[in-house]
Amino acid sequence: MRWQGFSDPVQDGQRHFRRVLAAMAEPGTLHDAAATAVPEDAAIGPALWATLLSLCDLDTRLWIAPGLEAGGLADAVTFHTGCRKVATPDGADFALVTPATLVDPAPVFAEGSDAYPDRSTTLLVVLDALAEGGPWRLTGPGIPDTRGLDVGEATALMTRLAANRARFPQGLDAILGCGDCLAAIPRSTRLAGPVSATPEEDRTCTSQ
Amino acid sequence: MNGYNFAYLDEQTKRMIRRGLLKAVAIPGYQVPFGGREMPMPYGWGTGGMQLTASILGEDDVLKVIDQGADDTTNAVSIRAFFERVAGVETTTATAEADVIQTRHRIPETPLSADQILVFQVPIPEPLRFIEPSEEETRVMHALEEYGVMHVKLYEDIARHGHIATTYAYPVKVDGRYVTDPSPIPKFDNPKLHMSEALMLFGAGREKRLYAIPPHTRVESLDFEDHPFEIQAWDEPCALCGARDSFLDEVITDDVGGRMFVCSDTDYCQRRQEEVA
Amino acid sequence: MYVAVKGGEQAIANAHRWLADRRRGDRERDALSVAQLAEQMNLAVDRVMAEASLYDPELAALALKQASGDLVEAVFLLRAYRTTLPRLAETVALDTGAMRLERRVSATYKDVPGGQVLGPTYDYTHRLLDFLQLADGEVPEPARAEQALEACPPILEQLDAEGLIERETDDGAEPYDITRDPPDFPVDRATRLQMLARGDEGYLLALGYSTQRGYGRNHPFAGEIRIGTLEVEIAVEECEAPVCIGEIALSECQMINQFAGSRDRAPQFTRGYGLAFGRNERKTMAMALVDRALRAEELGEPVQGPAQQPEFVLAHADSVEASGFVSHLKLPHYVDFQSELELLRRLRSAHGQPDGAEDSRETVDDGGKKKEPAVEQDTNESEQVSP
Repeated sequence: MRWQGFSDPVQDGQRHFRRVLAAMAEPGTLHDAAATAVPEDAAIGPALWATLLSLCDLDTRLWIAPGLEAGGLADAVTFHTGCRKVATPDGADFALVTPATLVDPAPVFAEGSDAYPDRSTTLLVVLDALAEGGPWRLTGPGIPDTRGLDVGEATALMTRLAANRARFPQGLDAILGCGDCLAAIPRSTRLAGPVSATPEEDRTCTSQ
Repeated sequence: MNGYNFAYLDEQTKRMIRRGLLKAVAIPGYQVPFGGREMPMPYGWGTGGMQLTASILGEDDVLKVIDQGADDTTNAVSIRAFFERVAGVETTTATAEADVIQTRHRIPETPLSADQILVFQVPIPEPLRFIEPSEEETRVMHALEEYGVMHVKLYEDIARHGHIATTYAYPVKVDGRYVTDPSPIPKFDNPKLHMSEALMLFGAGREKRLYAIPPHTRVESLDFEDHPFEIQAWDEPCALCGARDSFLDEVITDDVGGRMFVCSDTDYCQRRQEEVA
Repeated sequence: MYVAVKGGEQAIANAHRWLADRRRGDRERDALSVAQLAEQMNLAVDRVMAEASLYDPELAALALKQASGDLVEAVFLLRAYRTTLPRLAETVALDTGAMRLERRVSATYKDVPGGQVLGPTYDYTHRLLDFLQLADGEVPEPARAEQALEACPPILEQLDAEGLIERETDDGAEPYDITRDPPDFPVDRATRLQMLARGDEGYLLALGYSTQRGYGRNHPFAGEIRIGTLEVEIAVEECEAPVCIGEIALSECQMINQFAGSRDRAPQFTRGYGLAFGRNERKTMAMALVDRALRAEELGEPVQGPAQQPEFVLAHADSVEASGFVSHLKLPHYVDFQSELELLRRLRSAHGQPDGAEDSRETVDDGGKKKEPAVEQDTNESEQVSP
């Protein structure tokens, strides 16, 4: 098996979870996750591989977008975590995608309901670029003032995530991975794009 | 400890809680149902907080546990000893030195920093529970953002007493959406929830709910324009350290009505006394 | 000079030592063995297993010993142990019709195929203290039948050719598992039965009793009560037939209840169901009553009694949860109490003053409505459960 598991599943799994938690709590911040090597021909980097290892198990359903199985990923995930793979993303807890996966017509993911918004798919997004201070402006919980993020060519992804606000509390949360690098954009984040994708800021919040 | 996993919970349970925590952070203030497990301590004594702590704790973390603001109350001592035993982690009483702080009923006076995580023990996570006992009903109220009853309840207080008569577990609204129970902290601590530097996680073991307030998140205590939210104040300073900015416990000193006020946050009080000395 | 109370660690350690001493009692007397408890306190052991949801007589007896006979504490000990165990396999659904019976009675049919079997019951014992047991009297061997009882199918399935009693059919749905996922209300019947099966016996008994006294009356008859042992099997990939992994004792109660019918359904007898590990007859009868009461909404009956309200019944049935939350009131609540003290003083001082002369800390004065007596305020405050 060329895909390596954690050398210390308990401690490595905990350490990586804390990175993901920090990324989710402070959207747009970058976290180094060089923990676990992946095969050369893999389509995903160590950051997302470690995320799969730390979050998936027998109780988890995973959907892998076509093209991302390179290097025998699907068998490796089953071998290391025991998670179940599903044929359609709307039944998945996690969906491994690229921005291209989200180009129209995009597959349907679970977005939860107003009563149970947590019953939704978390996107694990494979990116070609990920850097702080880019053209996308993030505001909302976890962000003092505003934070910039560069995700490379990923308009379909960011348009999809920007649409989250209109349906809140339903929505999709995204964990972004590029090589060893990890960031997250939860559905609570308001996104303002460089050009077309205008964020939906239609919530007027009062305590009445 | 022989026969048990690191930090007591098995890895599958931890992963289940960790997945729940990510959802909780992504939907600030929303109560995520989770498959709460029995802990070797009674429900109601902090099992929710302990399950969260067990799920996030690593071998390099330094842990602090407080109850009523104090490190030396029996339940705080007991929970701290539990994690020393099952996780072998270093513990501290110093707020600033801790990576993870598990608390019951207080937020430390010393401002928390980024990279710290505060874990609250929560008895009744549903802020609407005392108005509507049915879970089926309150779930709908949250879904529809229908919080009128809460305002009616608070306003009835005003009509009756001239005040909002809720002094602890004072409901808040998180990021303008979810009405959330801040756990039974005194309302004195509510302002510390707003735009906190630290991530705050809430665990209710018996009720099997967890929720979160991320750092830098808007948290408003519910109030009315003509009756704004206000916190407790004392006429005198802490009798031990002289603090005027901390929550004070009343201590009865004799049987003829003598009493004094001292900081409920023992670490804060201790540090101030040392600075003075 | 005031000195804060310290030394929690030492106090806790000393409390544990004292507790161990109290548990052991007079060292002149023989210590109880776990095996003795498992054998001779077997009904207590069975109750602990049922409410802890773990079938292990030896460990249940250990819990009982460790808890000095406190059943609620023993249930908690065993439950906390249970939660650390891995799930290795799932058993094949049990068929209680295949039970090796030691007791089987029906209050609805005088004669049943296979016969009524009293078994080792307290039912017809006269409740006279048996002073012979103060001394260690010999106990004679029981009378034994020549042959073991044949396995008997459930009476209700056998004797209802007319279809007067509703049939329970397996819809094949994967049951929800309350030990892994939190119940989300409203819950289906399978989930409900799981929650009742581990519910506190005293609580279920009182609720079941309340239905008999008119708070949600449903005219029950004990259709069949059966107690016996049953093999537990798991399916193994390499084997064609399921493999037996052991034998457990079970109690089952099928209650038959009147049902007047509704627009959609003809009048029919309906059922309430009770099942528990071990010999837990009282528990299963109470459970069957409560199960049937909780079907009120499904059957279109008016919901009038507490036992008919699913959330109320189910959310409070677990003794581990209930005793934990009640006992947590022993923990310090200084901070909340201080908050209430401060408020109460403020309200009282405002109460004694003429209108408008508010306490100085009050930001906004609401004038007129401060004439409620202090007692009223207390009542209102008590609604806020102090967690």
